[in-house]
Amino acid sequence: MKLKGLFSTAIAVISGMIVLVGLFAPIALLPVISSLFLQWASILAGIAILIGIFSMFGTHLSKIRQRSKNSTYSFALLLFFLLTFFASALPQNTLLEGILLNNIMIPVEVSLMALLSVSLVYASARLLTHRTDLKSIIFIVTALVTLIGLTPWPVIGTLPIVSGLVQMLAAGGARGMLIGIALGTLLTGMRVIFGADRPYGGK
Amino acid sequence: MQISIDLIAGLLSFLFTLMILSYIIGDNPFFRLAVYAFVGISAGYVAWIVLDLVLIDKLIRPLIQGSMAERLLLAIPMLLAVMLFMKISPRLEFAGRPVLAFLVGVGAAAAIYGALMGTIFPQVQASTNSFDTSGIAETGLKVEAIGRGFFILLGTISTLAYFQFGIRASSATSGKRGMVMQAVAFLGLVFFAITFGVLFAGVYSAAITALIDRVQSMVTFVASFFF
Repeated sequence: MKLKGLFSTAIAVISGMIVLVGLFAPIALLPVISSLFLQWASILAGIAILIGIFSMFGTHLSKIRQRSKNSTYSFALLLFFLLTFFASALPQNTLLEGILLNNIMIPVEVSLMALLSVSLVYASARLLTHRTDLKSIIFIVTALVTLIGLTPWPVIGTLPIVSGLVQMLAAGGARGMLIGIALGTLLTGMRVIFGADRPYGGK
Repeated sequence: MQISIDLIAGLLSFLFTLMILSYIIGDNPFFRLAVYAFVGISAGYVAWIVLDLVLIDKLIRPLIQGSMAERLLLAIPMLLAVMLFMKISPRLEFAGRPVLAFLVGVGAAAAIYGALMGTIFPQVQASTNSFDTSGIAETGLKVEAIGRGFFILLGTISTLAYFQFGIRASSATSGKRGMVMQAVAFLGLVFFAITFGVLFAGVYSAAITALIDRVQSMVTFVASFFF
């Protein structure tokens, strides 16, 4: 391992250990240092987001400069980016900010969600035609039974027993998945703190 | 004046909804334009929120108005922020690496704490609590609660077993799990499919609700010209 790689690994290991011990054990000044490190990390995470947005801005600006194939879309992106940024930054522009957020952003978000209803039906039809195995059949039947249970029917109303039974079985699976994801997170975190994984670029 | 602003706002909402829903007939320039505009607005809004709530509120303002001790403590993240900005330049990229290492280290520690205290301990406790019938008086309800707890526990264990791909040394040549483990993992697969089925139904219900909302909004806008 090169010296600069070793330096980055040491920083990750030491900072991770201090924060972890500080969170679990109130020994001397460790909780205070741990809280301070978390506060610094939140500031740096914000700056990392800004760097990402800055990089996106640069990429689309160069597309416009080079007059590449889809530069019209890049122009629209930058135009709406600058409009929203300055409308949010200047306090007297609440009307423009309101129009951009409430009449463009939210309708587009909800419309994308609405599109999902079509995509999901198409995907389930494809699932049944391309992969007709036990897993797919259980999946589709469960989805249908849940939807039947949730739907308010004329005269009889909803069928809480049907959806309740399915949801009881799903609760076990969901709990297993949640614990599995948490165990995976725990293991990955431990590998980073012990220096076995170095996603920050150390070899 | 008020009417014209309402009209512009309603028209924008109508047009952008139509542009997005046009994807149903296939990918087209109107859909792409709406998506790029959406990305631009979201990025602009996030950029300002981060700048205002993180950079100005937590860094710049305390550096100007805070006490000497606060300023000294904030000089470190300020320096780290400058180093992180160097990642943009390919020549100075190396300066940002230790800052990224710090972020990864602190993030990993926070993730471990969150996984343990936020998921593993509460979920295990909930699994054991589902067998607690001390608050139930009727025998029939006690049996129902224990049965429910049993099915949930069975689902939890078998789903976890489905992800267990390790095998004993004696089975290393065949590369297959033992019979018991195979049966439990199969049960886990069934629970897995049921869980995803329920999740699918939930997402589908939400998507249908969104579709109804958008169609209703478009109809209301068009109808407002006639009624």
